[in-house]
Amino acid sequence: MSLLEVDSIDAYYGESHILRDLSLTVEEGEICALLGRNGAGKTTTLRSISGAKPPTVEEGTVQFKGDDITGMHADDVAMQGISLVPEERRVFANLTVAENLEIADVSRNASNTWRRRLTSTGQSMSTDQVYDDFPRLRERKTQIAGTLSGGEQQMLAIARALKQSTDLLLLDEPYEGLAPQIVDDVESAIERINDQGVTILLVEQNAAAAINIADRAYVVDQGATVFRGSADELRADEQTREQYLGV
Amino acid sequence: MSFHIEVITILLNGLQQGAIYVLLAVGLSIILGTLKFVNFAHGALYLIGTYAGLLLALDVNLTSGLLAEWGYGQLGLGLGYIPALFLVPVVVFVVGLAMERLVVEPFKNRPDTDQILVTFGLAIIVQELFRAMFGSGSLPFSQPTWAQGAPSVPFLSAIPISQWRYYVIGITAVLVLIVYLLVEYTDFGLVVRAGTRDPEMVELLGIRLSRPYLLVFGIGAALAGVAGVVGGPLNPVNPTIGNEILVPAFLTVVIGGVGSIAGAVLGGTLFGITQAILVSTYSAWAQVGLYAIAAIVLLLRPQGLLGEEEVAP
Ligand SMILES: Nc1ncnc2c1ncn2[C@@H]1O[C@H](COP(=O)(O)OP(=O)(O)OP(=O)(O)O)[C@@H](O)[C@H]1O
Ligand SMILES: [Mg+2]
Repeated sequence: MSLLEVDSIDAYYGESHILRDLSLTVEEGEICALLGRNGAGKTTTLRSISGAKPPTVEEGTVQFKGDDITGMHADDVAMQGISLVPEERRVFANLTVAENLEIADVSRNASNTWRRRLTSTGQSMSTDQVYDDFPRLRERKTQIAGTLSGGEQQMLAIARALKQSTDLLLLDEPYEGLAPQIVDDVESAIERINDQGVTILLVEQNAAAAINIADRAYVVDQGATVFRGSADELRADEQTREQYLGV
Repeated sequence: MSFHIEVITILLNGLQQGAIYVLLAVGLSIILGTLKFVNFAHGALYLIGTYAGLLLALDVNLTSGLLAEWGYGQLGLGLGYIPALFLVPVVVFVVGLAMERLVVEPFKNRPDTDQILVTFGLAIIVQELFRAMFGSGSLPFSQPTWAQGAPSVPFLSAIPISQWRYYVIGITAVLVLIVYLLVEYTDFGLVVRAGTRDPEMVELLGIRLSRPYLLVFGIGAALAGVAGVVGGPLNPVNPTIGNEILVPAFLTVVIGGVGSIAGAVLGGTLFGITQAILVSTYSAWAQVGLYAIAAIVLLLRPQGLLGEEEVAP
């Protein structure tokens, strides 16, 4: 059984049909890349998995650890152990760095009446651990997150996701808008997290960078899968790379 | 009366009137900021608070309205003012919870205009229901005898302001402080502040927002109820008071800055004091003064005095 199995889903934004019969699987422990050009449906796929709405998934199923999570409310999906680092980071700009991390603990905190049932078996990192992983954040604990640099906000968004109980981390374009030096930092952070046992589904525009650290890759175009295979196979498949990725 | 006593009297009256606005505006503002819900029925909660306070605190003799016709002219539990002060927020909190589930939740994702229509309709229904039941005349709701005179402490005893007005200011200060601490220093507050900015992201972190939202609305309602019960003995009590206070309450939110507790306090105080000054000088202009201040503030700072500038999410 794969950790995540997306089986022939059709997803819609209102009337517009975006994902068409899309399937993908993510194996426990791997880094899986999901590639494709602008508007291919990558973000829509991650949103369909994580329960964010819109879109609505009208056909097909999403299974996580063997349980059907199709159409589940986003907060319930999170409690199953799926964490999302969304496009454009979405840190809470009005909260401090420390508060941005703290809020990831709220759902697990037993004293809260609005707690959801936690079924994740994934590990969650302590604040100290994420600060060790991202020392920059420790230095900027009390800073308002809206005033962080783009790279720092990306680190914070990843750190926040890791503070949840995470089995599967969905990353939506983590390198977007980052200087090459910072891309290296984020890349090594992703590999380090993966070494600690977190499975990763990595969405990227920057295909070369993604293939660099991925075990396997999917390419989507117009909402359908057009390539699946190992990172090496994609590297060797010049036609797919040229036609769908422009590299 | 010497000049400085007169000035202090006006200021204290202004603070007290401002306190009522603050109680209403804090609730309205956090509801608007967090749930993004425009509640034109907030005045109805004030109305309910006033009548609930009256009926809990005193024995009332109704002379018109359906209740009187049906033979329930002698109404009221006569529990006294102190129990009423504690019970009214509980009653209105529960009314607020029901309202959140029945009206707010179904209309939360609808346009502002729909929310305004449905809540304003509700406010009018409540008002007319109260008119039918209790009659349109003003009911006697006096300040408790133990709070009528000036406080017998040095200096304040020389100022012609009843103790009740000091209690209104004090109760408001304590309640607003409690709400502020809740929002700034608890997990509940953290979720509310984050949800104000990006509700979807909060849910992606495993937190279902409908429960903290329910609580936010309940707290806002309870504060409006308190405003009703402390303000009741200072003003005529009749079915129109709820909708009359709605406009100044909303203006307070707007000039203070949506979602800002400190802004609501500042805005309400500014309004209260302006109104008190105008009432004792050019009383015909008292209401106009509020609109003038609101217009000036909004021209200079469209986001309100302490509101955050609108940023793309
Ligand atoms: N909320 C929405 N309503 C309607 N259509 C949408 C919505 N969001 C995305 N789409 C459309 O769905 C398609 C897929 O969008 P998606 O965001 O999944 O692309 P993507 O692969 O993530 O692209 P990018 O690399 O630019 O982020 C696009 O054609 C887009 O215009
Ligand atoms: Mg995208």
